[in-house]
Amino acid sequence: MKLRAVIAIIACKLTKFILRVMKRGGTNLPGKIAVKICPSVLGVMARGVTTIIITGTNGKTTTSRMVEQCLEEAGFSYFANRSGANLLTGITNEFAMNSTIFGKCRKKYAVIECDEAAFRHVSRYVDAKHIIVTNVFRDQVDRFVELELTMGGIRAGIENSPNATVCINADCSLTTSLVKNVKNRVIYYGVDCPIYEELVSEVSDAQYCINCKTEYNYDYKTYGHLGSYSCPNCGYRRPDTEVYVTEVVSSDLDSTTVKIKMSEDEKILRINLPGGYNVYNAISAAAVAKGMGIDENKIITALSSFECGFGRMENFDIGGKNVRMILIKNPAGCNQVLNFLTNTVKEKCLFVTIVNDRISDGTDISWLWDANFEKLEELGDRLPMIYVGGLRADDMANRLKYAGRSLDRIKVIKDDDMLLKEIDKAEVDVFIMPTYSAMLSFREKISKRYNLKSYWEN
Amino acid sequence: MEELKICYLYPDVLNLFSDGGNITCIKKRLEWRGMKADVTNVSVGEKFNANDFDMFFIGGGQDFEQGMHLKDLMGEKADEIRKAVEDEKVFLAVCTGFELLGNYCKSTTGTQYDLVGAINMHTEIEKERFIGNYCFESEELGSLKIVGFENHAGRTYLGDGVKPLGKVLKGNGNNGKDFTEGARYKNVFGTYAHGALLPKNPVLADAIISAALERKYGRKIELSPLDDTFEMTANEYMISRLGCE
Repeated sequence: MKLRAVIAIIACKLTKFILRVMKRGGTNLPGKIAVKICPSVLGVMARGVTTIIITGTNGKTTTSRMVEQCLEEAGFSYFANRSGANLLTGITNEFAMNSTIFGKCRKKYAVIECDEAAFRHVSRYVDAKHIIVTNVFRDQVDRFVELELTMGGIRAGIENSPNATVCINADCSLTTSLVKNVKNRVIYYGVDCPIYEELVSEVSDAQYCINCKTEYNYDYKTYGHLGSYSCPNCGYRRPDTEVYVTEVVSSDLDSTTVKIKMSEDEKILRINLPGGYNVYNAISAAAVAKGMGIDENKIITALSSFECGFGRMENFDIGGKNVRMILIKNPAGCNQVLNFLTNTVKEKCLFVTIVNDRISDGTDISWLWDANFEKLEELGDRLPMIYVGGLRADDMANRLKYAGRSLDRIKVIKDDDMLLKEIDKAEVDVFIMPTYSAMLSFREKISKRYNLKSYWEN
Repeated sequence: MEELKICYLYPDVLNLFSDGGNITCIKKRLEWRGMKADVTNVSVGEKFNANDFDMFFIGGGQDFEQGMHLKDLMGEKADEIRKAVEDEKVFLAVCTGFELLGNYCKSTTGTQYDLVGAINMHTEIEKERFIGNYCFESEELGSLKIVGFENHAGRTYLGDGVKPLGKVLKGNGNNGKDFTEGARYKNVFGTYAHGALLPKNPVLADAIISAALERKYGRKIELSPLDDTFEMTANEYMISRLGCE
């Protein structure tokens, strides 16, 4: 058994090395090989490592980076699965890279972003000490089929982790239902006030009480189905929060400033990322850091000096203009981006959406019809043109047409290289909104062309 | 000005697959032609009168919420729906919404649920889901090729007096066995196709709009042509990707 694990780790490291020499960023293959040789190798390596698992539908990657920043600030020795490889194989690979060939981890802490569906499997091998569930939204319909299944997976993961402190988004009625019957210590975090003055109209993923199916009452909503909900029939309601935002002080294209409460004292926190969804990411990171006993001032410093995660509102400087890349992958996340952009864009700019339908994007693109692209038209002459790319560019162009955009303000450019050339030519700031696989390939194109760092090197 | 009154049934419950895009599509295609759509949402606990509407739309949802709306559906709403169907009102019913119009549904454990019974057909739920892009051909619309995305565990079997909406060219359709997809009965258009369906199948969209206008105004109303470049490139892209040219 032990020998098998050693062989698995060696095979994993070797494959990774070969891929690196070949300059390939394959993040899944080495782990795949390791799991094939010894399925429980992850369990061997994770023993003795204090592991923080971040799961949920939206915000996993950014939250993980924020947690990392907190650990960094506190001077902890840690590693993280930074490239977004968040399935059992990718996580196994990351542990192997940070272990000796005998499976002894060189770091004390592990910050692990974990896919919702993979969590139940990963948690069989990793005895997490801290868990964050960011939220539960409808995502990649063809992979999970139902919210119930997604939630069942996360619930099983929590049940496999009896020693974990679980940080739960109090504003998400689906998420809070996950810890109804667990004995774990639970830290509820949330936003105790509205975030936006005006919300895009969107489909709610949880309009009816999860227990008795009565329609919820809301004191306020922050976005989607998140907010202060209560069921008038059975009394199921948003739990009291332990770490929370009391007020959104200001927000712009680069940051949001909030008042946050983790103990008696209210503190001002400037989150170094824009958008309401990042308020949630920051507050969840603060919750886990508090649970780990990290000093509050260090948490505040960490979150305000935070720099952007891979593809999540990443900033490039190309030819004297600002190019921002923001991942879109489901209606809730996409509506957040649209919300944010229409609330904050002041100058003329160019939008680019790149829509693929590979497995990692979700093969069903019908969600585009649930995202409120109509909202973009409020930008008027600030948004004279949208470029559309990717495998399903035609569907996206069509969506924009039905969202009220005139045809001469939409340009379909299916070829990535051509698209990048056109972006290069633009004289205004650019917002690129790609789906997952489009983000990976387009980011690589940008890196190559402008000599930026490749993601697997960090 | 011609106007269609559309009843959108359970928009907040049967909303899993973004089928609401079909309503957006019908609305826009009417407006672009100087006509109007007036959409009324009717959900759980709300009543409607079939006579007030020219068109009905029901979309696909998840099983989790089905228990709730079945109870709501199987009273007065079911009566009104049957009445509207027999009265040749136009229906577009997708996935769960399509299955609901049948006589009954049998679950994997063998439990049988009575359904609306507006169309002579029934559904049996199986474990394995049919998931993916697919293509079918409508004889009625001049061998029109229709593309969409199917995602269903239900296997639907059509009974006497009900025709399929199309013949499956690629994918599974109603049950993966008899090459039928969806159902046509009076002015009902039933289908498993998400996508959303109508925006990338403009000919079908216009056929549905035409049927509703004709039923309402008692005469054929010519629909002026629109620039369907984006619609058709999206349509043709998927037809060719599926090898159905």
